[in-house]
Amino acid sequence: MMEQVYLDNAATTPLDPRVLEAMLPHLGGVRGNPSSLHVLGTSARDAVEEARASVASLLGASPEEIVFTSGGTESDALAVLGMARSAPPEKRHAVVSRVEHAAVREDARRLEKEGFEVSWIGVDTDGLIDPDEFAAALRPDTALAAAVWANNEVGTIEPAHELAGACAGLGIPFHSDAVQAAGRVTIDVSETPVSTLALSGHKLYGPQGAGAMYVRGGVALEPIVYGGDQERGLRSGTQNVAGIVGLGAAARLAREELVERVAHEKELRERILAGAERIPDVHLNGHRERRLSNNVHLTVTGVEAESLVMFLDTLGYAVGSGSACSSGGHKASRVLIAMGRSEREAFSVVRITVGKDNTAEEVDRFMDAFSTAVARLRELSPLYAG
Amino acid sequence: MTDRYTPQVVDHLVRPRNAGEITDPSGRGESGHAACGDIACFTVGISENVLEGVRYQVYGCAACIAAGSALAELVDGKHVIEAARVSKSDVESALGGPLPLGKEHALTLVLDALHKAFEDHWTRTAGEMLLDGEKGPASAGKSVVAAMSGGVDSAVTALLLEEAGYDVATVTFRLHDGEKGGRSCCSPDTVLFARDTAHRMGLAHFTLNLKELFQRRVMQDFVGSYKEGRTPNPCVACNAHVKFQASAFLADELGYHHVATGHYARVEEGPALARPVDESKDQTYVLWPVPRELLARTIFPLGEYRKSEVRAIAEERGLAVAYTPESQDICFIPDGNYRKFVRKKVDAEPGDVVDREGQVLGRHAGVVDFTVGQRRGIGVSAPAPLYVTEVRPRSGQVVVGSKRDLEVREVGVRDLNWFLDPDETARVQVRYNGRPVVCKVEEAGDGEWVAHLDEPVVGVAPGQSAVFYTEDGERVVGGGVVARSSL
Repeated sequence: MMEQVYLDNAATTPLDPRVLEAMLPHLGGVRGNPSSLHVLGTSARDAVEEARASVASLLGASPEEIVFTSGGTESDALAVLGMARSAPPEKRHAVVSRVEHAAVREDARRLEKEGFEVSWIGVDTDGLIDPDEFAAALRPDTALAAAVWANNEVGTIEPAHELAGACAGLGIPFHSDAVQAAGRVTIDVSETPVSTLALSGHKLYGPQGAGAMYVRGGVALEPIVYGGDQERGLRSGTQNVAGIVGLGAAARLAREELVERVAHEKELRERILAGAERIPDVHLNGHRERRLSNNVHLTVTGVEAESLVMFLDTLGYAVGSGSACSSGGHKASRVLIAMGRSEREAFSVVRITVGKDNTAEEVDRFMDAFSTAVARLRELSPLYAG
Repeated sequence: MTDRYTPQVVDHLVRPRNAGEITDPSGRGESGHAACGDIACFTVGISENVLEGVRYQVYGCAACIAAGSALAELVDGKHVIEAARVSKSDVESALGGPLPLGKEHALTLVLDALHKAFEDHWTRTAGEMLLDGEKGPASAGKSVVAAMSGGVDSAVTALLLEEAGYDVATVTFRLHDGEKGGRSCCSPDTVLFARDTAHRMGLAHFTLNLKELFQRRVMQDFVGSYKEGRTPNPCVACNAHVKFQASAFLADELGYHHVATGHYARVEEGPALARPVDESKDQTYVLWPVPRELLARTIFPLGEYRKSEVRAIAEERGLAVAYTPESQDICFIPDGNYRKFVRKKVDAEPGDVVDREGQVLGRHAGVVDFTVGQRRGIGVSAPAPLYVTEVRPRSGQVVVGSKRDLEVREVGVRDLNWFLDPDETARVQVRYNGRPVVCKVEEAGDGEWVAHLDEPVVGVAPGQSAVFYTEDGERVVGGGVVARSSL
């Protein structure tokens, strides 16, 4: 396989060699269950606790407010289901945005099946949630509310501070999926009164299969797995020590390098956007300013996303598509539909997400390949008269 | 089943063959739907039945683009018969094996677009010719166009002909928009199913769009008949004006000699239309209007078989259609409720229910709701069962009487089609499942013939067919439409 230029960092990020370095001892020589009393157990426990402190530090939290999980999806599930199931029986209502990652959306739909009423809060054409509309949906019987910190598809950064504040004022637990935001946006839970946050190691140049959750002291959560009472009973099961150590290292590096990474990503993002502007009928989705530093989400009129992704793949560039095609027909992105796009537009989107390791030269080469691919597929398209 | 694309798919994606559009094509076809996301278009240039040019466009996933490219490459330069034989599995092979799970629809999509381009080509070629029912001369040869509905009978018909050494091209008619699933590219559809069946047998398949012809010659007459107090038989009208003409048109275009359908009947020297081996499936009653010159080139292979044998053949040869249910209803009224169908098309005016003496017995909501011989739904109570004996559209009257009042001994018949000398007539059948009755016929002038029946029969409805048989009851002498009847 030829060397691929990787521009799908929102899907997963490459493992930072420094993170790998930190993990290796826990994959090889060192053994020990963090719950064990002997010295090997103690040393594993120390490694986990050091990681906990690093993750806490990234979020402005205390270490005891951090729970390790298997990743973003599990953190979201523990938050949404856990809050709902620990709420008093008369509270059977939830407020959830229409632009949630599937990890939150499907939990909320699960709650609907269990008899919850869910108020789904829409967005404007940029994918932005209106805090007033969100706040207006909160009720005395609201058990929880949830809104993504920054959208994983179109990259719009939501007004988490206002949303969390509105909930806190009414004593309603508020969860935010910060999987894409962490390491790109300054998150400080001492400033923003969220109840819970979800984050994931592999979006931060850490390992896959390791995630974390911020749980504010005093927030009631019913666990979703039971067992040995690890992680304060919230997440039973022997900890993934190597993964957690990797996540800790990744979180530490993310905090130390945040400003520098964001500046670098923004520069690359703007280069891509400038190139995209020169191609006719290519439009940016998501908010122009309130936007993740690494995200470029484009509608390419007349071109179906999967074919464009595959075409770019053969040219040596990995990017993300915004829709899934199967024999039952395409599944249009719910986020784009919520932003008022037609199904047809929703099938014609591509997500390009840069990372700290991409270079300006890669991005420039990519834009050449991108404009070639778009031109070729448009020649083929019955829906584009160029 | 695999989860990734083959190198062939990737190659077709980045180096598509035959991309683009032919300006001024012989035919253009489009398949797909906004709701499904994918759209494929084919344009073809056809000269003397050879595909001189084929171009395609796709908005869709890599599988659709590659399938379109591979299909275009497979059919380019081929005779239309060869091109129409190319199946989904041929395209799949050209792409190096099965497509990833969930991408199989790409094959159906591009094949459908190409076939719609062929269909458009035939429509353009036919023009008014098909609508006016003109026919070209038949050529010689052991070749046949076999009509294919997608059911077991027509599939076995094509199979038997193929096994008998004929060159077989199959054809499905697009007659109306009532087919189930017709609105979505992804759901099963009669034409797609018939094409699949033909391709599985290795046969070429074409579709002819006869919607306009069918509308004009069958549907309008169907609705109009009820309005005029007649009881139409749409299958007869279709056989008279649509099915055989269309098959013959395609045969002429392809230089094929015969046409075939899956009817249970036989063609004997003459040509004469004869009853089939399986008398319980006899369809001669609806085949009387087939023009002589078309009957002369028609083959009904199933006339020599019993229905049970036909199913056994399908089963033995592994045809998926072996277990399809019998179709009984009028094809464009799948729920069988033809009153409701007619009611939607015409304004019904209320009128009187009267007896033979003209005495008003009650009211009805419209003559379209009644047909001669009907017993139910009259809405008048009487000591003995009442039957509709006559429908008078002009005065809006529905005449009712006893069962005896339905008896007739004289039937006036118009629009005759004779295969044999009318003098050979010995019996007449006036209902689909009726019993032939001994009769004598004589010409009454002004295009009408009168059949004098040996015994009274009941329920002879104007608009139905009267079909005349020979002394032995085996062969059809001719037939016509019942215009009137009397005791």
